[in-house]
Amino acid sequence: MLSLWLRRLSTDRIARLHKVSPPFRNAGRGERALVVTGRRGNAEVLTAINDSAERLGLAPGFALAQARAMHPGIDAAPEDAGADAALLESIADWCLRYTPLVACDSPDGLLLDISGCAHLYGGERELVADLSGRLEDAGFAYSLAIAGTIGAAWAAARYGEPASYAGGEELALLAPLPLSALRLPPATVAGLARVGLKRIGDIVDLPRAPLTARFGSEVLRQLDRALSYEQEPLTPRLPVAPYVAEQRFPEPIARKEDVLAITARLARRLQFALERRGDGARRIELTLFRADGVVRRIAAGTSRPLRNPDDIRALFVERLAALCDAFDPGFGFDMARLSVIVAEPCPSEQIGIVGGEDAAELCRLVDRLSARLDARRVRRLTAQDSHIPELAEAVLPAQVVNGDAGWNAFRQYREQANLPPRPLRLLARPEPIEAVAEVPDGPPLRFRWRRALHEVIAAEGPERIEGAWWSEHGGPARDYFRVEDKSGLRFWLFRAGLYRDLAQGAAAPSWFLHGTFA
Amino acid sequence: MSGPLPLGIPAIDEVLRGGLLPGALHEIAAPGEPHIAAAAGFALGLAGHDGKRRTVFWIVEEIAIAENGAPHGAGLYAFGLAPERLVMVSVAHRRDLLWAMEEALRSRAVGVVFGEMRGGRIDEVAVRRLSLAAADSGALAFLLRATPPSDASTAATRWIVGAVPSVISQCPGAPRFVAHLVRNRYGPLGSWILEWSDSDERFILATHAQPVAAPALNRSHRQVA
Repeated sequence: MLSLWLRRLSTDRIARLHKVSPPFRNAGRGERALVVTGRRGNAEVLTAINDSAERLGLAPGFALAQARAMHPGIDAAPEDAGADAALLESIADWCLRYTPLVACDSPDGLLLDISGCAHLYGGERELVADLSGRLEDAGFAYSLAIAGTIGAAWAAARYGEPASYAGGEELALLAPLPLSALRLPPATVAGLARVGLKRIGDIVDLPRAPLTARFGSEVLRQLDRALSYEQEPLTPRLPVAPYVAEQRFPEPIARKEDVLAITARLARRLQFALERRGDGARRIELTLFRADGVVRRIAAGTSRPLRNPDDIRALFVERLAALCDAFDPGFGFDMARLSVIVAEPCPSEQIGIVGGEDAAELCRLVDRLSARLDARRVRRLTAQDSHIPELAEAVLPAQVVNGDAGWNAFRQYREQANLPPRPLRLLARPEPIEAVAEVPDGPPLRFRWRRALHEVIAAEGPERIEGAWWSEHGGPARDYFRVEDKSGLRFWLFRAGLYRDLAQGAAAPSWFLHGTFA
Repeated sequence: MSGPLPLGIPAIDEVLRGGLLPGALHEIAAPGEPHIAAAAGFALGLAGHDGKRRTVFWIVEEIAIAENGAPHGAGLYAFGLAPERLVMVSVAHRRDLLWAMEEALRSRAVGVVFGEMRGGRIDEVAVRRLSLAAADSGALAFLLRATPPSDASTAATRWIVGAVPSVISQCPGAPRFVAHLVRNRYGPLGSWILEWSDSDERFILATHAQPVAAPALNRSHRQVA
């Protein structure tokens, strides 16, 4: 477990904004004292400071006025917790290059589960060297530690020797550290200090029952977790992909063709793993790590479990085409990773079955269109279990709809209920019209829709469709009419509300146009 | 490639030399925006025979859906299209419309492709590309236009189709269209009043909406030239 503490996150973020060139930034002497301030209670106090400010004797918690009085030359910036969190998230994204298990340890830390990953870099020390080098280049002050448990790594990163390694020697590592290294609330630490317990070593051998009785169970729980007597799960920021293949490049790549070629190569590697477990990919993500630390994640969905590398490559051809300028390789990508985020059991390819080839071809087409245009634009109609016309059908992304989508049930219903004709096109929502009817409950004589007047020459109806009376948002009953105007246009109109309900205080009926017939 | 798709109306089939040509682009324009549902219904009727088995793509500009409504499954059903065979694609730009149409036409899995656009011109080269894509796969391609186009056409046929009154004893009857064939690769043009027969799932020549008092032999009203 690697714990990374970005001890100057806020001030480093502001320094990066001002484009102080990183190699000189840490020279120390030339750097101006920078403090970040925020309101705590009724006072403007320092919430974060940089190294120069610390050398001046300032500390978080000082009132800004007091700090200004001591050192008039300091720079002050308002705090921005949102920007700090966003920066931490983007660093977490970037850390995905080391391990898929990265968790944010707010407000200013990260946890990386590097078990089983360090050997890719040649060992823990080499991984740490790579990570530190990149963080220094990016201008972050940090300290990190590797230990067997989250608690021990956290404590060592913040209170121990820089870049310490403790495998199995957590107790020796923790014993000299102060009790606040156990992630305890300040009040508990103060309480323990009052009875003379200051270091972790002081409480390790104490009888457990009285300690719990006096200070609560949290103290021993954190101690047990740090010493691996109790499991502490890591909650990764992103779901861990079941299948991952990645490739590092000695020289950054920038051309789209190269990215696609590498995608196909990674997909071929994934194919073997997928085949072995009989799975196919439903959602695939291509993660591109730019040399300057920006991480691009490009995801594509599929309408059936996919294994074929050519199909996977074809998806990303469209995704990259849709990105256009947003692709922006900058100085190039130095690592690419292809992960299958959602996998689904997929029967082995059946060859020579009639219709199978057409179905596969259709899925490919739907995937290609969805990847380019967005999955929400490529849709199928599904029949829903509702008698209210605008709810009777739903348009859902074609990638998630399969089978008959409820239309067989609809056909049966249509036969049984002898359903009156339905319009060819339905407006997204009924549009109010001004209508004049001969008799209150009859069809309109003429109506005005979108400023055009239509003279009705024939009408059929009414077809009464009750509102959803069981729901308070159900609306009144509707009387639908199929009408034809002088020029032959055929419309589907309805009157919402009944005149006989007027006596009971219902709103006056009003007319709407809902669709057009061929 | 299969042969032409007959409409079952000898007068029209003769003009089209046997029927509607598959593997080609057909333009169907409405005389005005309100008639777009009629034009769409006519196109569905033409496609109905071929669209039975394979998938139908309906690619439409978003603005046209907002303006004229989205295809309604229960209504499509009356024109012989099973809604589960329909894939709807809404696009934001004309460029995407043409791209998506071409992609769909090039796929062997697609039987019929409708592309629906509102007014405006369309690039002749794009139409040519669509024709070629349709010819490659043998799919039937329809370009639905909300207003009558003024540009020259390279499509196999161009129709202007609007709704006409269908009244039978005070009630709206079966959907009735006036169809003008204004461009035909084989030459002859014509105009007809057609009615969609729900039960037979085909067009029939309509008897005129007005009472017929003329001699039985003089049926000039059936040719609205």
